[in-house]
Amino acid sequence: MQQHQAWFIPAVQTLHIIAIALAVGSVLLVCLRLFGLAAADQSLQQTHARYGSWINSSLWLLLASGALLIVAEPVRELVTFSFWLKMMLVVCVVLLVAAFGRYVRKAAAVDQAITPATRCLAALTLLLLMAIIVLGRLIAYDHVWGSLSPATKA
Amino acid sequence: MDLHVFFKALEASAAATAIRDSLLWFPLLEALHVMALAVVFGSIVVVDLRALGLASRSRLFSRVASDTLRWTWMAFVAACVTGALMFITNAEVYAANTFFRVKMLLLLLAGLNMLLFQLTAGRRVAQWDAAPAAPGIGKWAAALSLALWLTIICMGRLIGFTITGAASHEPPPASIDFDDFLSGPPAQ
Repeated sequence: MQQHQAWFIPAVQTLHIIAIALAVGSVLLVCLRLFGLAAADQSLQQTHARYGSWINSSLWLLLASGALLIVAEPVRELVTFSFWLKMMLVVCVVLLVAAFGRYVRKAAAVDQAITPATRCLAALTLLLLMAIIVLGRLIAYDHVWGSLSPATKA
Repeated sequence: MDLHVFFKALEASAAATAIRDSLLWFPLLEALHVMALAVVFGSIVVVDLRALGLASRSRLFSRVASDTLRWTWMAFVAACVTGALMFITNAEVYAANTFFRVKMLLLLLAGLNMLLFQLTAGRRVAQWDAAPAAPGIGKWAAALSLALWLTIICMGRLIGFTITGAASHEPPPASIDFDDFLSGPPAQ
């Protein structure tokens, strides 16, 4: 097995948690705006201009710190059901965030972009982030999946 | 009451026993704790950056604060509940853990820092609501808030790494040798 400094993994994990907090906070505020629960003085475009870049940056930070964690402990990450399910949801979140940003930028009239569909997509993004948090934690407890976990099959 | 007796009573409680006996409860509590802290920190950053004049500068401070604060508090309560439930499963060990103690101290400091903000800049918010940043000590309190919460998250991860981390770092089954994937075809 590979050797690393004892502080390396908890440090990168902490960075990963801070990044997910920034992603959740930014997506939450866009959601609240869409549902009329925050920033009523701002258009959706203004709200998205404030938080959109934070969503993108935090997703990049998540991917970078996550990649470091995989390189540091490939078996712990890759030989789990939780990890691969999480990655599927990560792909969904990245696509949703990209599509949402495109849609908001293209909507010409102020708040024309607030439709039941965009509300659903934003809420779905937030729910997926929460599910990603659960799966991220379950990587350390993959046995909860029983026979679905490759680690318990062996 | 003796703390040792108190911690042992917590560990023997029905809730602590149920969580320890379940395969799913502890990881679920950890996940809920991370969700809660994500909302706590994610929303505090928004207000602190506004107070520092680094984001949302053109919006009234009070508007930015009212967007987030009720969510911050709800999530903070959720973090306290999930944190307490994890604590009681192994109270004596957590209470003796240095990172846990530092985290509790920092949470107290974060609370006092919030009070400091409320009693200084917060009290005169009407005077600087539209200004790009909070005046004087309010700005320092916002910077300190960010530093404290970042360190609190770091301490939290280190608690998990030094206590329950042991369980999550069992070696993988012997039949899965990752070196097989890395070293290419075996030499014939």
